[in-house]
Amino acid sequence: MVFSSKPLRWLELILRIALGGIFTYAAWVKLRDPWELYALAINSYEVLPLWAVEIVARTLPWLELAIGVGLIAGIWLRISATVTSLLLMVFFALMVRAFAKGMQINCGCFGGADIISKWTLLRDGSMLAGSLLLTSMAFARQRKTT
Amino acid sequence: MKPSAIALAALLPCLAASLGEVDKAKTFGNPGAPVRIELFSDFQCPGCKAFHEVLLPVIIRDYVVPGKAYIFNHEFPLAMHPHSREAANLATAAATVGKYSQVADVLFLNQASWGTNGKVWETVATVLTPAEQKKVQALAKDPAILAQVQQEVDSGQAQRIPQTPTIIVSRGAKRYSFPGPDQNNYPLLRSLIDGLLK
Repeated sequence: MVFSSKPLRWLELILRIALGGIFTYAAWVKLRDPWELYALAINSYEVLPLWAVEIVARTLPWLELAIGVGLIAGIWLRISATVTSLLLMVFFALMVRAFAKGMQINCGCFGGADIISKWTLLRDGSMLAGSLLLTSMAFARQRKTT
Repeated sequence: MKPSAIALAALLPCLAASLGEVDKAKTFGNPGAPVRIELFSDFQCPGCKAFHEVLLPVIIRDYVVPGKAYIFNHEFPLAMHPHSREAANLATAAATVGKYSQVADVLFLNQASWGTNGKVWETVATVLTPAEQKKVQALAKDPAILAQVQQEVDSGQAQRIPQTPTIIVSRGAKRYSFPGPDQNNYPLLRSLIDGLLK
């Protein structure tokens, strides 16, 4: 099976560390600031009622932290990679929707002023591609070992 | 008279003597209040009009009048708005005669009109006496006033203000940028300010 080759094991490790580091950093910048700032960014997408915005703003950074740590540590890789891919799919879809509608809003990805642009779409799209690759590798390796 | 103008008139005696005349006129509330709210606004921006007419009076009522916060207005005319720099210059000049709030009110009230026909001065003049008109018209071209406005723009750019209106809420070393405050997200802003007040 190709996924057992050494270069691909290195690629998996790099993807795990990179995505895990990004998710851990994204969680940290949100958790160090008051939750209201992240809630404001979520609210600017205009897809959730305010009560749901508050729940997401208070819980999502902790989920991102758990995923980040899980990816870096390599534990429950199939689960953490799958959740990462699902989250990134939702984030990317929301960002594309906002960009297509011409909304000049903060993406809410890493705190601070990060207005949605072609650059932010390219960045998150690359992360999504990397995450899907990692997920497929995790499942392929599992199939081989079972 | 608009609620913000009423509140400003009531609060003017509280202003710090150490601030310059222009800074004084652009400040709402007591500078000794624990929370400072800096507003970066553009007279030709529709969101800024909504903020000025709907949310600002609410913030003044909830936080400025009770002495919990004070507000400092910064001009942040965007290049995409052809008349907003002139409006900012005139409003800043009007601040020297104590008419900043009145000028801000009339500019936002008639934004659609002067934004289209470019009659900014004619709009501003309606709230000034003939003597004030003469002074403000001259001061609006004064290098010191132009520099003051530019300084506020530079300050906003240095703080990477992403859009107008944006407010920066701070207490001591804690400082948070809150772009696009409006009626819809006021509960979030209120929660943020209340958190700083604890």
